[in-house]
Amino acid sequence: MFVTEWNSSALVKAATKAGKKKNALTPMTFSLLHATDFADRLMYKIIPPLKAGMIVLADRYTYTAFARDAARNVDRQWVRDLYGFAVRPDRAVYFRVPIDTALDRLLARRVKLKFYEAGMDLGWSANPTESFRLFQSKVLEEYDRIVREHDLHVIDASASITDQQRLFRGLISDILEQKPV
Amino acid sequence: MSDHDSELGAHGGVTPGRFYGHGLPYVSINDYPGKIIAIEGTDGVGRSTQIALLREWLEVRGYGVVETGWTRSALMQPTITLAKSSNTLNKLTFVLLYACDFADRLEKEIIPALKAGFIVLADRYIFTALARAGVRDVDREWIRQLYGFAIAPHQVFYLKIDAEALARRVLQAGGMEYWESGMDLKAGDDIYDNFRNYQRQLLKEYSAMADEFGFRVIDGRKSIGAIQEELRRQIGEFLEPPPIEKPADAVAQEPGPGSL
Repeated sequence: MFVTEWNSSALVKAATKAGKKKNALTPMTFSLLHATDFADRLMYKIIPPLKAGMIVLADRYTYTAFARDAARNVDRQWVRDLYGFAVRPDRAVYFRVPIDTALDRLLARRVKLKFYEAGMDLGWSANPTESFRLFQSKVLEEYDRIVREHDLHVIDASASITDQQRLFRGLISDILEQKPV
Repeated sequence: MSDHDSELGAHGGVTPGRFYGHGLPYVSINDYPGKIIAIEGTDGVGRSTQIALLREWLEVRGYGVVETGWTRSALMQPTITLAKSSNTLNKLTFVLLYACDFADRLEKEIIPALKAGFIVLADRYIFTALARAGVRDVDREWIRQLYGFAIAPHQVFYLKIDAEALARRVLQAGGMEYWESGMDLKAGDDIYDNFRNYQRQLLKEYSAMADEFGFRVIDGRKSIGAIQEELRRQIGEFLEPPPIEKPADAVAQEPGPGSL
């Protein structure tokens, strides 16, 4: 089993960090940097374990980019074409949560919302919480579109962790039993 | 641009000053007064010299000029330099890092300059990326879609030279380097052979694009003065029709290469 997280490759870390720090990223460079990160992880962290017959658990996948980039008004089809090099996952699960729940959970954990996470780069609101609500609502809308388009399995993430895990394990077991591991 | 039009992707037939494909939906570039003039050609063909001379000539004529060059973006330059010095780049990340560099310069340098009515002199444009990717067997359709956010230049000059003449020039100027020689393609250890083969393949890609994107081809083996004269004639005709007076004299009276 192998776990890979979004935006974790060493290759583009410096540029992403610098760009985020200076709030210098445009929707397009934000999109391309994340695609570069993904490409790097695909080659080094995803494809080799797949070839070795391992299970790759990806914490976020291309759908995150589809949703965020489109919410930033990058062309939807362009982003999908951009990730044309990605391997289609055997199972994609989307944990859906209402915007207020997401906001409550984040604010309970952290003092401050991150600039890009709150979509502050778009200038929709100077208030981080309000900006987050506007931007992430748009992201959620995009996810709903992606769920239909790519047959993602939806789990209600406002349910208890035990319930979510039971459903999640069920979805994963289904697919693992279909093929030898 | 409608979705239907943008399906044309980066193929020719796009109006200069418009996006090749899907573009940047959050940026409106319609009717910007500036112009993009791109100079393409392989390493060592003399692009920078020509651009320095062009800049001086244009500024004397009262044009505002902005230069933009490959991998010079503030955002990406350190990362690209670092990545090239390590062994972790693969053809995909190579392509994407360059695209990111181009996007940063497009939005931070090129578009603002076009809006303000400047002439953008581009030392290499997306075609360098397309040629390098082509040699590395990156999917042609995919990379043309990728660069669908680029703006079609008003003029693209391609300084054409053969691989042998180029090899001599590069050797005189300081020697062959790893990436210019396509050493990442792992074709062998002989840098001269690799350089020549790699540059030949690049030249083939450029030639194929000359028709696709309407390059204005200039013989890169000619003298600096002769090439500059040709560039000035064609740019002059474009910027100030009818043709400006005696471009040949203008070249002769200039005091050598630009001070840049």
